[in-house]
Amino acid sequence: MADDLLIPDDEENPVALEELLAASGLDHQEVSELIQFGVFQLAGSGALWTFHVHTVRLACRAARLRDDFGLNVAGMALALTYLERIEALEGRLRELECQLPR
Amino acid sequence: MKFKDYYAVLEVERDASSEEIKKAYRRLARRYHPDVAKEAGAEDAFKAIGEAYQTLSDPEKRQAYDDLGRHQSGEEFKPPQDWESRFWRGGNQPASQQGSPQEVDLADLFEQMGFSGAGRSSRQPVDVPIRGQDLEVATELSLEQAAQGSEVSFTLQVPAWLADGRGVREPRSGTIRVPSGVIEGERLRVPGRGGAGMGGGPAGDLYLEIRLKPHPHFRPVGHDLYLELPIAPWEAALGAELDLPTLDGTARVTVRPGMRNGQKLRLAGKGLPRRKQGAGDLYGVIQIVMPDQLSDRERQLYRDLAEASAFNPRPHFAAPRTDG
Repeated sequence: MADDLLIPDDEENPVALEELLAASGLDHQEVSELIQFGVFQLAGSGALWTFHVHTVRLACRAARLRDDFGLNVAGMALALTYLERIEALEGRLRELECQLPR
Repeated sequence: MKFKDYYAVLEVERDASSEEIKKAYRRLARRYHPDVAKEAGAEDAFKAIGEAYQTLSDPEKRQAYDDLGRHQSGEEFKPPQDWESRFWRGGNQPASQQGSPQEVDLADLFEQMGFSGAGRSSRQPVDVPIRGQDLEVATELSLEQAAQGSEVSFTLQVPAWLADGRGVREPRSGTIRVPSGVIEGERLRVPGRGGAGMGGGPAGDLYLEIRLKPHPHFRPVGHDLYLELPIAPWEAALGAELDLPTLDGTARVTVRPGMRNGQKLRLAGKGLPRRKQGAGDLYGVIQIVMPDQLSDRERQLYRDLAEASAFNPRPHFAAPRTDG
């Protein structure tokens, strides 16, 4: 097992709901509410819910925030929204810093 | 076994109430949570407070911990004679009695109590399926490696379960294929390659976090690259043809006459490649620089230029007119 080459998820491949739940530790109800809050987006429009790979990261983060701070779904949604906003601002800041002389 | 002072980690007294412990944990978690805190060492601090809280928030574990007595942090110690018999019932010995005592971590000992400690079950294999732990590895890639794809080797201490339900740590090494087109901060997920599950539960996932090493020329923003492009004042005035470094060689660009500081030259598709197709852009950011020292001749030419030019760079500083 030591020498086999591990292949990461292809980011184009959708992740099924069951896998998202298993990977994150969120439950079905929480995921459903986080979709309603608009924090999670469905990858397709089919009857079976699928998600983008990056939603797994968001879901793991949501579960950590829930477990470590005792947040409810609304709290998770708010924290994730703010964290996303901070990351977007940090990205913008990096972009602007790159345009300044070193 | 090395002692860890869980009360000191949570910054509470030894007789703190469970409510005080919870409050202390919340306060410290907010400060060091890896999703919130950015400062160096926050992640290690968070792990330490998490470990302390895991034990002190559970009355049974806290009692077992208190019965270990008080020791200095980091001090080698042995649990009291009857300690294990009081907290472990059933057939198997806790990990502290298996092998050499130095290999046992206090956290592992208490973690095992969670699954198989006194009062919950005898030390039998657990039949409730428990998913394996997720594992994380971080790696630093050069921009060239990120562009071309790479293979990253790692070694980790992985929690694993023996057949009798006992938790151990074993080294695991492997190599992860990093596809072309990853960017700073990206986390690649290898499903099912984390810690082993227990009681028929699935394995956790393995995550590889990508960091990009600083490059002497290029600064990455997503898939775009920024390059500081110093030009002489006369190149800014008259224009120039320059060779810019790119990730895979050089590219010839034309600087138009009248370039200003901070203006960007865009080289489409010369940034980092994207995962499937296409690539980000390379931006040369114009920086008009002056020579450190001017020769006599250069100074004279600037004087001549100053006399010949009617250019006023500060018209907006002119005194405002007060008459209508």
